[in-house]
Amino acid sequence: METVTDKTNISCKLGILSRPDGSAILSEGNTTVIAGIYGPVEVKLQKLLIDKASVECHYRPKSGLPGVEDRLYESIIRNICETSFYASLHPRTAILVTIQELQNSGQLISCAINAACLACLNAGIDMKFMFSAVTCYMNFEDDLYLHCASGKETKAMFVFVFDSTEKRIIASHTKGSFTKEQFEEAVELSKEGCEDRFTYYKKVLES
Amino acid sequence: MAEQYKSLHPIKYYRDYLAHGIRPDGREFNKFRPILLNVGSIDTADGSAIAKVGNTTVVCGIKAELCKPKPDAPKCGFLVPNLELPPLCSPKFRPGPPSDQAQVLTQLIADIIENSKCIDLNDLCIFQDKLVWCLFVDFVCLDFDGSVVDACIVSLLGALKTAKLPFVEYDPALDNIQVNMEERKHIKVHSTPVSTTFAVFDDKVILKDPTQEEENLCSGILTVVFKDDELCCVHKPGGSPLTQEELSQCIEESKERTLFIKRLIDTAV
Repeated sequence: METVTDKTNISCKLGILSRPDGSAILSEGNTTVIAGIYGPVEVKLQKLLIDKASVECHYRPKSGLPGVEDRLYESIIRNICETSFYASLHPRTAILVTIQELQNSGQLISCAINAACLACLNAGIDMKFMFSAVTCYMNFEDDLYLHCASGKETKAMFVFVFDSTEKRIIASHTKGSFTKEQFEEAVELSKEGCEDRFTYYKKVLES
Repeated sequence: MAEQYKSLHPIKYYRDYLAHGIRPDGREFNKFRPILLNVGSIDTADGSAIAKVGNTTVVCGIKAELCKPKPDAPKCGFLVPNLELPPLCSPKFRPGPPSDQAQVLTQLIADIIENSKCIDLNDLCIFQDKLVWCLFVDFVCLDFDGSVVDACIVSLLGALKTAKLPFVEYDPALDNIQVNMEERKHIKVHSTPVSTTFAVFDDKVILKDPTQEEENLCSGILTVVFKDDELCCVHKPGGSPLTQEELSQCIEESKERTLFIKRLIDTAV
């Protein structure tokens, strides 16, 4: 499959791994991750849910073992996937999402979430909607922008995840402090960014 | 009869209550549970507090230790938060290494402390490149009944504002440390972050300050942290999607509570 690049500065390739049911490698700027999906597969007895599939997410940093911060990312990605899947179609099974970080120069969370979505689409898992994450930065002059020149100091950072049907906010994660107005502005700006991402998803799937 | 109904059809039980605009514990959707804060509860810690939000109880203790700073930040001290969720607080937890939830909440609390800048790590410096304070902020949950982060942040502020560090004299020529335990001074707390948790039930009803039961049944959780007039954390780890209007309304509502909690902390300290 061809690598598709876009004005959103994303490039992506689907189905690069042979063993998982779905996989994607995705770069946003200089940040790159690989996501792989297994599912629905056999579930560990401890995590068995009788009415739906249980979703598990594993996040591997580029070196060393996953730490406490990575657990937070895992829980965010797992919750987003749980919301978007039709999990009740496969009771007593598990869907495993594995994410491997390759390179990080900012916006790692949003990159991981987008890779997870594309891998899910590649795996053919039944989803209520697609999701896409956008990272928005605010500098010390209170200007908001979507692309970060790496290494630059920022006052605040926002990550928003939107659904593809009604463009509602599934998840939000912030760093730094900001006013309510700035937060709302960031949501608006990110919403525009996510539209581009959904069109990009479609382009990738069609290619 | 109501008991059986509740355990057989918990979601339907809640729906029936919420359709009448009230929650099973008698609160309206936008009402908080009473908050209690007791400071200086533990003698052996350098600072401590117990916070209760309804039944949720969190004990916070601060222990200060001297250590050497990192070479890349010679003036910065350390602040290490850790939340423990023992089996005592809820049947959900088993003894052993910290559960995923404990790790996620610990990271969230660490993020809130960092984002709100309530402690300036440079204040913890005693002698550049040689000696700084390392504050271990330990939270132990005694009763896990929803909105644990809210209780943690209230107890954190209570503990930080009452914590006193001994006076330390450092002689760089002899590498000699002298600690004066009698003479103690407060840590400077730069801001008062206040956290508010919301739960989204059935994708439409938003419940403030949810109990554990509500958190389990609901489809999404949202935590908003205000520091004075600024937001410093809007954390929604997935769950049912919210529109921008709903999100703004939650932010507005949590702002109203900020002043009240701030007054509570100031009175207690």
